[in-house]
Amino acid sequence: MVLSGRKVAVVGMGGAFPKCTSLDHFSDQLFSNQSLIREWDKAVAHGKNVRSTVSGFITEAEMNLETVFSTLLEGYPEVYVDLLNRIPPANLSTADIGSIWAMLGSLDAIKMAGWTDKETESETTGVVVGSGGGGHEIQRNAWHNFFELGKKTRLVGSHTVDRAMVYRDAANVSCLIKNKGVCESIGSACATGLGNIGHAYRLIKFGLQDRAVAGGVEGTSLETFIGFDAMQVLSRGFAPEESSRPFDKDRNGFVCSFGAGIVCLEEYEMAKARGANILAVIDNYFNNSDGDGDMFYPSFAGQQRLWKGLLGNSGFKPDVVKAHGTSTPAGDAIELLSIVDCLGTKGYHISAPKSQFGHMLGAAGAVEFITSILMLQKQRVLPCLNTVNLNPEQENFQKTAAWDGPKSPMADFRDLLPQKSIDKEINSITCLNYGFGGTNSAILISKDN
Amino acid sequence: MERQEIIDGLVEILKTIRTIDQEKLKNVTEETDFIADLGTPSTELINIAAKAEQKFEVEFDDDDIDDLGSKVKDIVDLILRTKERG
Repeated sequence: MVLSGRKVAVVGMGGAFPKCTSLDHFSDQLFSNQSLIREWDKAVAHGKNVRSTVSGFITEAEMNLETVFSTLLEGYPEVYVDLLNRIPPANLSTADIGSIWAMLGSLDAIKMAGWTDKETESETTGVVVGSGGGGHEIQRNAWHNFFELGKKTRLVGSHTVDRAMVYRDAANVSCLIKNKGVCESIGSACATGLGNIGHAYRLIKFGLQDRAVAGGVEGTSLETFIGFDAMQVLSRGFAPEESSRPFDKDRNGFVCSFGAGIVCLEEYEMAKARGANILAVIDNYFNNSDGDGDMFYPSFAGQQRLWKGLLGNSGFKPDVVKAHGTSTPAGDAIELLSIVDCLGTKGYHISAPKSQFGHMLGAAGAVEFITSILMLQKQRVLPCLNTVNLNPEQENFQKTAAWDGPKSPMADFRDLLPQKSIDKEINSITCLNYGFGGTNSAILISKDN
Repeated sequence: MERQEIIDGLVEILKTIRTIDQEKLKNVTEETDFIADLGTPSTELINIAAKAEQKFEVEFDDDDIDDLGSKVKDIVDLILRTKERG
């Protein structure tokens, strides 16, 4: 798909991924159809007080980090130690666990991009990284000691603000890499990861920056998990590896997971001129809102407008749709039907990476963007794991007079949803992510020709 | 409590502040400046004060912390003064 003006290339990737020691390890696990979801001991420890106990979580030890707890306040993680000395102590002192993952992912992505220090530290390099939640683990302990235990504010130390503020991930990355361009976070719930990449794309596309470190993060946090658990929207009743089952008729909720996805974006001609390895080209990004006043329920009309905004009247059909595919009853049905309504029933496949690692919330869009780059590289479609049976009956909303979408039941689209990874010539992929508040995001990427 | 005993205790606290170069803790004296000599980030001074309160079993007044200098002798003086005040 050709668009006029500046083009944007993806030139680097990094992050933090459940049960994986590296991006290569993550890739190997995904393409061999593995699930990265486990039973979470931290949730299990709360017995009947939590409803769901499965997660794609990451421990400190798995990231080669160690927690130093405060001697002044019980349970307060005063600082994290990097056992591999990748991040200087001054940067660790201002970081919560998610910010550390963001910094580690940024170092890997910049290394892959091959940017010089001069390029990284330039006025034309931006940082656009965000999280879905706040620094909950830091705040809960700090607040508990002040409000419940009556301790002085100073006992918690001087880093609860920088370790918990909304744009802590971007701020920590920026202080580490010393860029002189923009530093900000976009927040759009579960569309945050893609929203930050999309915003960074626009900064470069519109000529405001030449390079950007962009992505989304969600640090492992039981505080975050229990909010969704209370809403009864998390998966339960399945073995961990079968818990995330997008589009399957027995799906009963998403798997709350954690991670980080960071990418390096660069103005295409600059990347080309310096001989960079161009992983993908971003053709377009579009986002909108449902506009129906509903905080939670997905909107078919909103998603139709999303597709229209992304592709216009081009008639273009991507080879793969990387779906949001959370494994929630309403979300998956609306999403599948809106994809079919736009693209028809043939000529493309749908991939649902959350089936393998769950829903990483604010990191989801960024990590799934990375999985899409991996699909372009490998020329393989990642599966919809556990999408075993599709509903042969119409959804209830399809039976209403107000429904103007496809009338066919989900089972009619079985061929679009591979249960195992498959080889395929892939030139373009559309990534979709949605969030509470009725926010919708879509990006179109393609191989560099 | 002897002043040297307090300095030794302060050094133990400083060893837990990971942003301080541990090599510089070998020759800490009363005249050592936390910021100028040890390179301690100013944001860490309140952490040092809070840990000193715990270690030496004292509770500083907010005014005393506001007026606290950045040399080792300043906090030694404050600890002794606070202990005398009881």
